[in-house]
Order: sequence, then C-alpha cells, then structure tokens
Amino acid sequence: MSSFKQSRRNFMQNSALMAAAFATGGVAGLRPAFADRSKELNILCWEGYNSAQVLDPFRESSGATIKAESLTNDPTMINRLRAGETNVWDLINVNNPWARKKMFPEKLITPLDRAKMEPYFDKMAPAFKAPYKWAMDDSGAQLLGMAQRYGPYSFVVNTDKVSRDAAEDQGWDLWNDSANDKKYGILESDDWNVFNICCIAGFDPFKVHTDEEVAKFTETANKVFKGAKVVGDIATMNQALVSGEINFHMTGGTYSASPARADGTAAIRGITPKKGPMEGGKGGISWIEITSVVNNPDISPLAVQFLEYVQDPKVAHTVAFAEGTFNPVAQMGNPECFSLFTKEELDAIQYDSLEEEMARSVEYDIVPDYDKLLDVMTAAKRAASGG
Amino acid sequence: MTISKLLAPGTRHAIPLVLFLLVGFAAPLLAVIGFSFVPARSFSLWQNWGLGNYIEIFNSTSYLSFLWSLGLAAITVLVLAVICYPIAYGLARVFGKYSTLVTLLFTIPLFVSENVRLYGWVLFFIKNGVLLGTLKSWFGIEPESWLFTNGIIVWGMVYVYLPFMLFPMTLGVSMVPDQTRDAAFDLGATRWQVFKEVELPLSMPGIMIGFLLSFVLAVGAIAEAKVLGGQQIIPISHDIEIAFTYAQNWPLGAALSVLLMLVVGTLVLLVLRRFDLDAILGRR
Repeated sequence: MSSFKQSRRNFMQNSALMAAAFATGGVAGLRPAFADRSKELNILCWEGYNSAQVLDPFRESSGATIKAESLTNDPTMINRLRAGETNVWDLINVNNPWARKKMFPEKLITPLDRAKMEPYFDKMAPAFKAPYKWAMDDSGAQLLGMAQRYGPYSFVVNTDKVSRDAAEDQGWDLWNDSANDKKYGILESDDWNVFNICCIAGFDPFKVHTDEEVAKFTETANKVFKGAKVVGDIATMNQALVSGEINFHMTGGTYSASPARADGTAAIRGITPKKGPMEGGKGGISWIEITSVVNNPDISPLAVQFLEYVQDPKVAHTVAFAEGTFNPVAQMGNPECFSLFTKEELDAIQYDSLEEEMARSVEYDIVPDYDKLLDVMTAAKRAASGG
Repeated sequence: MTISKLLAPGTRHAIPLVLFLLVGFAAPLLAVIGFSFVPARSFSLWQNWGLGNYIEIFNSTSYLSFLWSLGLAAITVLVLAVICYPIAYGLARVFGKYSTLVTLLFTIPLFVSENVRLYGWVLFFIKNGVLLGTLKSWFGIEPESWLFTNGIIVWGMVYVYLPFMLFPMTLGVSMVPDQTRDAAFDLGATRWQVFKEVELPLSMPGIMIGFLLSFVLAVGAIAEAKVLGGQQIIPISHDIEIAFTYAQNWPLGAALSVLLMLVVGTLVLLVLRRFDLDAILGRR
C-alpha cells in the first residue's frame, strides 16, 4: 500500500504540470514517442475524404480510428505541417504544385514505393499516366503522392443570363465590362481570386510580377471588388445564381457548380475561357489533387493502405460524389470505375466538356509573389467596404 | 517552513483554479500578445521581437475595418436600446403570466446555431425568396433585393444580439420598486417625469450591462457581414480571420487582435468610469 507515496499537494503539482504540458503540447505532446499506431490514421484534406461514405468502409475493414480534418485552402494545411504538426498527420491532400515544389523540398512528406503505387496511375485517365508530373519530385526519381480528384476552375455563369458561348468568348473581360457591375459575385477563395484578378488584369499569375503589373493588379482588384454584388462561400454563390441575385461569379468550376447542377439546375455551368493571358494563350486554370504521406516520425501503417483503398473503382466513385462538392476523378479512365457513373452524375460534373476544358487550362501553380498580391487584394476588399 | 504555513488556506485552495485560469486563459492571451511582436509571416515566438506589425497596421487601411466594426456595433446597440426597452418593460410589468412564454420565444432561437439562423434570413430576403417571391406572386411587385446591403447587416446584428440586451434590461426594469414609482406619481410627477427621473435611473444597471454585453459582442461580429451582407463590409474580425488563414500572417492577425482588445477595453473602461457599476448596483 505504501508504494503510492504521492501527497495531495504533490498530486496537485503534478496535475498542474500535466495540464501545462497538455496546453502547450496538445494531445501529441502527451503521446509517448513511437506508440503503436497500427489502429490509427489522421488525414488532413479537402472535404470529401473526411465524409462517412468514404471513411466508414475503411474503418470497418481496418478496425481503426480514423480522424480526418477538412480545410478549404492549401497554404493553411501546409503551414499546419510547417508549424510542427508532422507528428500528428499521416496523409495530406492538397493541390498540384505543393507536394513537388514545397512539401518534399521542405521534408514535410515522404516518397511512396514506385513499384507498388505506379501501376495505379496506369489505370487512370491518359493524362495521368506514370510518371505523372505533379506526383513526382523535380528530379523525376521519387513518387510523392497519388492523384484522384481534378477539374477546371475558372468561373461559373448562369447560362440563362449569359450564354456559354458568350462567356467562353468574352472570358475574363466579363469583369472589365462596367455594364456588369453588381451583377456578379466573388467566391471566397482568396488564393484563387489572386489568380483570377491577374487574368482580368491581362497577365499570367504564375510568375514574378513587375511593378507595373502590381499597379495594374491593384487597380483591377479595386474595380472588381467594388463591382461585386456579393462575396461568399459556394452555397451563397449557387443560391445567388439560382435566385437571380447575380449572373456569374469568379473562381468557380466543376467543383463549385456541381452541387447546384446535381440539384437539377443545369443552367449553372463552370466556364473555361477560350483564350487568356497564360502560357500558350490559355485562359483557364485547373487543379489536380495529390495525396501524400506525411513525414511523420511515427507514421501509421494504414497511410499507404488508405491510398490504395481509394484507388478501388467503387471507392473512387464514392470520392467523386462524396458530400459537399462533386468532381471528376482520374480513376474514371478505368472502364470499371467509369461505368459506375450515371448520366445525371456525369452531367453534374460537366463530363461532356471536361476534356476540352482541361485542354484550355493551365495547371494551378505557385504564385511567387502571392503574399504581396494577397495583401493588395485584401486592402482592395476593405476599400470596397460599404458599397 | 512548508507552503501550508506560508499561505492562507483560502489562497492554497485557490491555487488549482488560478493555475487553470493561467493555463487556459492567460497563456493563450499572452501567446497572442507575444505573436504580435514577431516578424510578419513567421510561425515561431522565439525570434527578434519588434513593432513591425503595428507599424504595418498604422500604414495600412486597417482603420477602415476598425471604424466599420465600432460603427456597426454602436448602431446595433442604439437600435437594440430602442427596441428592447419597451419589451423589457412589458416583460417586467405588463405581460404578467405571459412573460414566461414571451421569454421562451426570445430564448428558443438561441438553441439554433447563429449561422443556421442567418442562412434562414438569406432564404427569406433573397430575390425570389420567401419575402420577395411572395410579393411578386401575390401583388406583382418586384422591389430591389435587400440582401447583400449594409442595412441588412445591421438587421442581422440586431436580431442576433437582441437577447443580450433584452434580458439584462428586463432585470434592470424589474429592479425598480413599485413604491418609488407610486410615490413619484403621488407627488404629482407626470408619466414622462416618472420615466426620466425614477424608472430610467433605477433600471440603469441592467441597461448598462445590456449595452456593454451587446457592444462587446457586436464589435467582434463577423457572420452577419459575411452571410447577410455578402462581405459588402469587412469588419475587423474578418480582417483578423484573413490574416490567420489565407494570408498565413499570424503575427499581423495577432497585432490586429491586440489592437482590437485595446480599443474595446479602453472604451469599456471609459464607460465603466462614467457609470460605476458597483455604485449603481448599490454595493457602495
């Protein structure tokens, strides 16, 4: 009985220390180094991968506790890893450039076994055949992640108000036409809005910008935010389009329009401009998600298993139509997966024009002077306050 | 000498609570204050501290967001005062047994998340929605939509913060003893004089608490301007959110937060100096 020598005061002191450790280190701080993590998986992702439809079958088959947190912008997720959460997460799901250009050079993620994972790429749509650029490191030797969801992402119109042809022809100049003031919305997606304002201003977003271009960007950002009827989330944009509050909104595409289309409003359509200021005269921008294994010193063995699990045709179809937004998946290149999509589902994700829209788009990349442009845009938003 | 002899029993027993407050309340606040001094766009506290973030804020247009937040909060509080006083008076003196029912009607919406309620108002006010759709189909009139305007933001804030003004105010009004009112009437005071000289001063503690509570909450409001206002106004809390998310500039967000705390704290202290709550509550 005497082995418990703790006095009440000692107990209090220890409790306080524990509380302090808990508060400063979070749950991870209390976790013994290299605990058994075979029944645990933590995923940091865009919405969809955190849905019960996707996770529950994997939970059942693995008997593991799976936590998934969804965020809606890439820089925030990557900064979570930079801020020391590499010992929390096992998988990270972000868009094309981040794995190759930032996370791998910064040692935030680890490479995958090429021999094991590359055969999956061979079953994907032709554009994703191994070695797929965004899934590889700069040297082309390391496989950094798996591709799945993708789509064109420029802007969305209500085709009852602006025809698809007119929108594709006019492209980003829709925002340069003052007759459209207070007839458009802006999706609250600030990183993409920076790209779009560059396009409206008439130059490529994905390069270092001259002082003249920054000045033009400032002027354009002020004009665009002043003329916006509403800035809001996807639900707000779709609702404003359906109700007739706005005729079109920028930053948008299959990802944002698909929930409204699936709901039966076919007039709402993602548009990829026919021409624009980007490489090769392209006017659209597209995204491709890459899911990578985090450089966690105590990585869960389920991480790679999960990456394989979502390659299954049935699961890939579930990922495409998981709650939230609906998107094409690279696995549709496999007839076994493609056959699972109904006509309505294909229509919701604008499969009829997917290929031509992707061909008209450049792939989302990192804007070297993003911080400067974002600050200018935030100031423009603030200056437009009050209408 | 042991600690138990050094400290009085009361102090000793308060230690766990004090520690809890230090860890749970003071530490995050200190972290925010600390972060406001580290270089912009960095993620560690342990580097060269400086005033860079504050200088950047003073050289920017951030003051616009501060003014919008303070202005909207002030308007909200004034509108609430006008709306809530009669209701509070009714609850305390007129409604009688129906007071409980009326109180319930004001409290039940609090069980539903603020965002859900605001999205409900969006459906009500949106073009072809409940209000404008009905006007169109029944009377054939199509007024301009009010959604995404400045006025609707004030509407939303008044709606959301109403209980925080109403209930302290009701408490204040119910603190006025009937005898003082009767005495004033007996001494020949008019209805207006009774209100001005007796009821208002005696219910002031409740009114002041309602003012402070709704003002402090309204200064930090963000959802109304986002959901109903369609971001036509960027309040300071939204600026802080942008700094912490898209801009990944925690130090800037922290500096804005510190300034907001200072501005609101100063205003509240000024009011508290003018109206000594302890004195009006009759403790001194």
